Amino acid sequence: MPASAQIAERRQSRMIPVLRGEQGPVMVGLLPVAFLGLLFLLPVLRLFLLSVEGGTLAHFDKAITSDLYLTVFIETFRIAAIVTCCSLLMAYPVAYVLSTASPRWVLIGLVFLMLPFWTSILVRTYAWMILLGRNGVLNQALLGAGVIKQPVALIFNTTGVVIGMVHVLLPYMVFPIYSAMLRVNRDLLLAAEGLGASGWSVFRRIFLPLTMPGVIAGTALVFILSLGFYITPALLGGGKVIMIAVLIEQQVRQFLEWGFAAALSCLLLVIAVLFYVLLNRLGRRETIA
Amino acid sequence: MVLLRVPSRVKAGLFFLGNAMLGTAAAAQAQEPPKPPQIVFNDSGGDMQKAMRDSFYNEFEKRFGIRVVTTSPVDAGKLKAMVESGNIEWTVTEIGPEEAMLAEKEGLLEPLDHKIIDLSDYPKHLQDRKYIMPKGVYTTVMGYSTDAFPAGKGPTSWADFWDVKKFPGPRTLRDSPIDNLEFALLADGVAPDKVYPIDVARAFKKLDEIKPHITVWWKTGAQSAQLLVDKEAVMGSAWNGRYFVAIKNGAPLKIEWNQGMIKESAFVIPKGAKDAYWGQKMLAVITDAKAQGIYANIITYPGLNLKSMEYVKPELQTFMPTHPDNLPKQVWTDAKWWLDNGKDMNERWSKWILAK
Repeated sequence: MPASAQIAERRQSRMIPVLRGEQGPVMVGLLPVAFLGLLFLLPVLRLFLLSVEGGTLAHFDKAITSDLYLTVFIETFRIAAIVTCCSLLMAYPVAYVLSTASPRWVLIGLVFLMLPFWTSILVRTYAWMILLGRNGVLNQALLGAGVIKQPVALIFNTTGVVIGMVHVLLPYMVFPIYSAMLRVNRDLLLAAEGLGASGWSVFRRIFLPLTMPGVIAGTALVFILSLGFYITPALLGGGKVIMIAVLIEQQVRQFLEWGFAAALSCLLLVIAVLFYVLLNRLGRRETIA
Repeated sequence: MVLLRVPSRVKAGLFFLGNAMLGTAAAAQAQEPPKPPQIVFNDSGGDMQKAMRDSFYNEFEKRFGIRVVTTSPVDAGKLKAMVESGNIEWTVTEIGPEEAMLAEKEGLLEPLDHKIIDLSDYPKHLQDRKYIMPKGVYTTVMGYSTDAFPAGKGPTSWADFWDVKKFPGPRTLRDSPIDNLEFALLADGVAPDKVYPIDVARAFKKLDEIKPHITVWWKTGAQSAQLLVDKEAVMGSAWNGRYFVAIKNGAPLKIEWNQGMIKESAFVIPKGAKDAYWGQKMLAVITDAKAQGIYANIITYPGLNLKSMEYVKPELQTFMPTHPDNLPKQVWTDAKWWLDNGKDMNERWSKWILAK
C-alpha cells in the first residue's frame, strides 16, 4: 500500500463512523446546510409569508407606491454609496501601507483598525460628539484660530452619519483589499518597471487589476452592511437622517404591523442580493481578465 | 400564520387536555399558587429603573421573598412576539400609553385582578381599568439652559420657544409627532382645550417654522437632557424626570411647566405570562401610596394613588407635574386620538423630516 493511501486510511479510521466512506463529504456538508436552513432560510421564508399575509400583495403595493418609503429607500442607497466610496478611498492606501509594513507595524495597524469593533456604540457616538459637536474639540480649535466665526455642524446631519458609519465599517473594506495585496506577486511590478513602465502605469495596469477582487469583495461587504444600519444614523443623524431600518423598526415595535415590516425587509433583502450578484459577476470578469 | 396543519384528532386531544388543565387551575385558585424564585419586570431602564428598584422592586422582594429581575427597554413589538410564540419572558412590563391601548385591542394583555389590585385611592375615572394598570403621570415639558437665559428670563410658552429672535439659539425636540403637533398648535395660539382633535395641516405648517432651528431630534430620554448639558441646544423638550435628575446632579437647567403635555404611565401583564398571579401582586405593590411616594422622591414622576403625595418630600413638591401650581398649566394628552392616528402621523412625520 502506498504511503498516501495509508495516511488516508488512518485519517478515515479516526473519523466518526457516519463520516467514513463515500457518504462522508455529503454528511459533512449536511451540517452547515441544516444550520443555515434552520436558522436562516426558515426565518426568511416565514418573513416572506408574513409579508403576503391574507394572500394579498397589499403590503408590497404600499411599500413601492408610497413616496415616503421610496424616498427612504433612495436615501438609504445614497448614504450606503457615499459610505462605500469613502471607505474605499481610505482603505486602499491603508491596506497598501499594511501590505508593505514590517510584521510589528502590521500588528499595531490591525489593532488600531479593530478598535472601533471593540468599542460600544454609545462610547463611539459620544466620542464623536466630544470631537465634532458644537462645543467640540474641533469647533473650539477652529473658532480659537479664527478660521470660522460660527460653529460648523459636523454631526447631527448626513456628514455625521457618514463619519460614524465609515468608522465602523472601515475594517470590512481594509481586510479583503489587504489580503488581495498580499497575494500580488511583487516581481511582476519589478518586471513592469524593468520594461520601462511609469509608476502610474504599473499601478493602473498591474497592481490595481490584481487587487480588484479584494476591492469588489470589500465594496460588496460595506455596501450591504450599510443598507441595514440603524443605531449610528439614529444617534449621529440627529433625527434628520432616516434609513429604511429605522422605519422597519418603527413598524415592528411601535405599530405592531409585522406584515408591512416584513414586506419592507423582503424588498431590502432582494435589493441586497441583486447587488451582491451584480458585484460577484463583475468580480469574476475581473479575475478572468 | 399556520405553517403546520394540525390533524383534527390531535386537536380534539388538545382540547381535552386543555379542559383538564383548566379544571386543575380552578381547583388551585382557592389557594395561592407556588412562589417562583423570581419574576421578570421589563421597564425603560436608566434612571427610571434605579428609582423602580429603590421603591417597588425592593418592597416586593421584602413582602414576598421573590426576586425581581429587570430587563429593558420597553418594546411593544417584543410583547407581541412573546405572546404569539407563547414564550413569555416578562411577568410585568411598562408600556407607552398609546401602545398599551393597541396591545389591549390586539388581545395581548392579561386582565387586571381587582381582587388583588386595589385602586380605591385612585381618581374615580381610573378605578375600573380592565387591562392597563395606571401607575403615575409624567409630562413632556419645556426646559432651558440658565446659562443661555437667566431663570425667569427664559421662554415661558411654546410661542416663546418658536420665537427665535427673542430667544436665539439651537433647540431640540423629540423625534416623534407625539407632543410636537400639540406644541405647534399651542405655539400658533390654539387654546389648550381646543388642541384635540389635532388640526394636522396647521400643526405641520407651524412646525415648518421651527424646523431649521432644531439641531437634534432626540430619540432617548437620556439624550434630551444631555443635549442641554452639553450645550448642543439652549432649550428643548424632555420628560420632566429627566430634567429633574440633571438638575439634581447640578446642571444649570430650568423646567417650564406651562403648556407641558401630561400623560399617564402604564404597566401591563402579557397575556399568558407564567406567574401572572405574582405579576398581579407586583402591580398591587405599585399602587401602594408609600412606595409611590418614595419613587416620586427619586425621579419626580408622581403616582396616581391620591394618598401618595403625603409621602413626597416638601422641597420636591414643585417638581411634580401634579403639584397644584403646575397641574392647571398643563394639557392632558389624548391617548385615544394617538391610537387612532398614530401610524398615519408617524409616516407624515418621517416624510416631513425628509422634506428639504
